Amino acid sequence: MPRSDFWSGLAVAGFGLLALLWMIPNYAGSNPFARMPPGLVPSIGAWLMVVCGGIVAAKGLVQMLRAGIAPFTADLHWGAVAWAAWPFAYVAVAIWFMSFIKITWFGAFLIGGMLILLGERRWWMILGCSVVPVALLYVLSVYLMRVGVV
Amino acid sequence: MDFSAVGAAAAEALTLASFIGIGGGVLLGYIVGVIPGLSRSVAISIAIPMTFYMSPFIAISFLIGLSKGTAAGSAVSAILLNAPGEASSAATALDGYPMAKKGKPKTALQIGLIASVLGDILATIILIFVAIPFARVALLFGPYEMAAILAFALVFIAGLSGGSIFKGLAAGGLGIFLGTIGLDNQTGLPRLTFGYTELMDGMPLIAVAIGTLALSEMFVQSEKLRYDRENMSVALKKDSSDRITWPIFRNILPTILRGTGVGTFVGALPGLGPSVGSFMSYGMAQKAAKDPETFGKGNPKGIAASESADNAVIPAALIPLFGLGIPGNVSAALLIGAFAIHGITVGPLLLRDNPELLYSIFAGMILASVIMLALGWFGLMFFAQITRVPPHVVIPIVIFFCLAGMMLQGYGTFGLIILMAFALLGYLMKKYDYSFVTFLVAFIITPMLELNLRQSIILSRGNVAILLDRPIALFFIACTALALITLIIRTFRTGKPAANAPAD
Repeated sequence: MPRSDFWSGLAVAGFGLLALLWMIPNYAGSNPFARMPPGLVPSIGAWLMVVCGGIVAAKGLVQMLRAGIAPFTADLHWGAVAWAAWPFAYVAVAIWFMSFIKITWFGAFLIGGMLILLGERRWWMILGCSVVPVALLYVLSVYLMRVGVV
Repeated sequence: MDFSAVGAAAAEALTLASFIGIGGGVLLGYIVGVIPGLSRSVAISIAIPMTFYMSPFIAISFLIGLSKGTAAGSAVSAILLNAPGEASSAATALDGYPMAKKGKPKTALQIGLIASVLGDILATIILIFVAIPFARVALLFGPYEMAAILAFALVFIAGLSGGSIFKGLAAGGLGIFLGTIGLDNQTGLPRLTFGYTELMDGMPLIAVAIGTLALSEMFVQSEKLRYDRENMSVALKKDSSDRITWPIFRNILPTILRGTGVGTFVGALPGLGPSVGSFMSYGMAQKAAKDPETFGKGNPKGIAASESADNAVIPAALIPLFGLGIPGNVSAALLIGAFAIHGITVGPLLLRDNPELLYSIFAGMILASVIMLALGWFGLMFFAQITRVPPHVVIPIVIFFCLAGMMLQGYGTFGLIILMAFALLGYLMKKYDYSFVTFLVAFIITPMLELNLRQSIILSRGNVAILLDRPIALFFIACTALALITLIIRTFRTGKPAANAPAD
């Protein structure tokens, strides 16, 4: 917990700093005649991230020093990391596919493939769970919303 | 009160289209509530794109019906599975599951249902009588008051919606920052869009909501599957003695009324979710009982206390929404998005500009409660079967609907990339205990906060002393400072803020 607090706090504060030093000055725009500059509210948000993220990181660091915990660990469970990461990769590939094919046409394969990867082996379950949601989407988009096949 | 408008609202709520829309919402909510891992906010965020083709009244009533259905449905899995569909039903499981194991699952479910419906109806009636006068007073507020109230709500939610106050405020800061992306309404120039024309209208709310709430939750759930795939549901059997009786109802009625009071109070305060309400009500029922040692072993009062408060929170959370336009929790924040999609500004202006719609929604809420009772009572066996659906079957289907929801809104590949980015952000926030509730509420209220802040600065010409003539604004500024100091001291002393439950 102290280690994750330290790194997450550092990441949040780092993003806040990036916003304050690069994003807001370059991309928030300016209006010299306005009483409230367009960068004021985003700066408030960025300052909140810097200050609060900094405090979270500092608290984590103090706790790590007190408990003698190193900031890095070699004790990584790669199996667990891979298990947590594959759904992200699966959905990212599906999104890439969706730039070529409509989701209605390959939705059944999207659901079915993930069901198999998650351990489902009953063919009737895979078929039913893959086809019914896609059919519902078809009815919703074509007949109820009348936006055509999505 | 305009009685002709009330009559018209009641008539609109009793049409066949309303029955189908609201009933569909409650049914869908019930099913979602029964499935552990699928929460109310997940369901609402996925359902919002489905409401595009509905009229504003049916769309909002459908979503409120869905919200109510999840609260009632989550009790089924809490009682039969000992795995609450929502965190707020965890208190129900404490007595519901032991009662089901003792051979009285149907009685426990019926107690939960009646407590849910009564808590819901009574809190809806309180909402109707409180929200309208509240909105009338709020119409007198100016930008100073609104800016102060919004700042107070944000700090309050950051402090009470779980985790450390600093993590809550950091999440709020990120929400504020991302909420300012888009065209600046004063200069008309793009702000923080990085040259992407797709961001001119701001970050798409649907992508942010579905990504942070639904898609990220599915990633969390799929990760959990590695460690836990158990699903042991108590089966319902045909037993004539297993049902609620008049003496049981008479015994639990005072507990239901107390739970409704607690739930309404907690719901009306921004940031305190149904989990706080149900556990507070459970604790009070245990303290008031003559046999407190039986709590946790199947006492019907434990189920009644938890469920009545849990369901009372949902209508009560709409008091600050309809009265001030401030979302007290994620579900209310998502409703703001749904209102915006239909071109309606929620808050006190709704009463002034569109009172018929407000009355229709109130009538729809009462109708939703009645449908909830009928569905829960007659669909007990069906919902009990749904508890047997394993999570690995649910995850791919929900992911499919998350992606389909974005396509239905016409965002294309850019919207899907934003969705994926927010899913990753939501996953990390959940993993590292940063309040996604505060993030989302801050993201949604930032345009309103900025507008009121800008008007305040222009009207006062930068003179802070003008606040001395604005006692309400001054009061809320003082409350914000006080809340901030108290929560920071509390976090440093105990490591945790006042409450540590998600304000769902």
